[in-house]
Amino acid sequence: MSISLTAKAWSPYAAGIGIGILQIPAFLLIETALGASSSYVTVADLIASWFDPSLLKIDYAAKHVALTGKNWWQVALVGGIAIGAFLSAKLSGARRAAISPVWQRATGTSSPAKRYALAFLAGFIMLFGARIADGCTSGHGLSGMAQLSVGSTVAVAAMFAGAILAAKVLLRRI
Amino acid sequence: MTLQTAIAIGLLMGIVFGFALEKSRVFEPGVIVGQMQFQNFIMLKVFLTAVATGAIVLAFLNGFGFVKLAPKAANFGADIVGGLVLGVGITLAGACPGTTLAQIGAGYRDALFTLFGGLFGALAYSYFEPRISSVLSMNGPKTIFTDYVGIPYWMGALALAAILVVMLVLLERWQPYSEEFGRNYDGDLHS
Repeated sequence: MSISLTAKAWSPYAAGIGIGILQIPAFLLIETALGASSSYVTVADLIASWFDPSLLKIDYAAKHVALTGKNWWQVALVGGIAIGAFLSAKLSGARRAAISPVWQRATGTSSPAKRYALAFLAGFIMLFGARIADGCTSGHGLSGMAQLSVGSTVAVAAMFAGAILAAKVLLRRI
Repeated sequence: MTLQTAIAIGLLMGIVFGFALEKSRVFEPGVIVGQMQFQNFIMLKVFLTAVATGAIVLAFLNGFGFVKLAPKAANFGADIVGGLVLGVGITLAGACPGTTLAQIGAGYRDALFTLFGGLFGALAYSYFEPRISSVLSMNGPKTIFTDYVGIPYWMGALALAAILVVMLVLLERWQPYSEEFGRNYDGDLHS
């Protein structure tokens, strides 16, 4: 399998090396590690602060919306992910349904409205949990484990435990 | 560095990140849910390869003194509670906070709802943060494993990378990745 730009799939090892190498510009240029979930706080709290300026009295919110390179670098990173995935899918000519067919088997319903509702709830739970843990699959997983962080390793173990349990209890076998 | 430069670097890095997520298929709900149901190991393969690569590059960058490490504080209560909740969300979303955006870019419509849910989740956390951080400690020490044994980080990082490479070789021998994509490259092995 080649790693051409028009391939439908790359080896997981080629892709993993590509992602891991991104730690070089992150650490050298931005002096931080790869991460994704705090960008949700930056964007959500900025928008919410237009309607409720008192939100910024909470240090946590103020710290995340501040116009710092690190905050907005991560927002750009996460936005860039959507662009990169779009380009990759276009270049490979991949065509896919608006909702992955696995959801019908996993949840037993083909209703888009039910999937959208579950996706919204799932996104809420996901980010609420990520913020309690102070990181997600990127920040704790990719970056924390590569840095041998004890807390990140515990968070990743808990994350997989919660995910495996939910996949067993809440979803059907896909 | 100006804000604009940081944003430009972020965009470029994100494009590479998103490209790799799409090409590896790890952004597919079928791959992420499939991993959690042990039907598909693409996620673990991409994830552990990226961790091993990150450990190797950081061993060099930190070992030669080019960069300082930035590990997160160890707050076991928050790490465990938050990790469990995050994990449940990942399974039901079929995505992580980063791959949600890859799903949007690749055209999955439900991922837009995951994104909105995530923004509301992050906002709700911000409002509760003062109360949550008074219950769960958030100021733990930034301990890394090599602190326990008194060896330099770079040595531990290279050891971790070596262990991960052995694990990946065994994993690949047991279940080759080329058999895990499914006909439509969406990790759906039954279609």
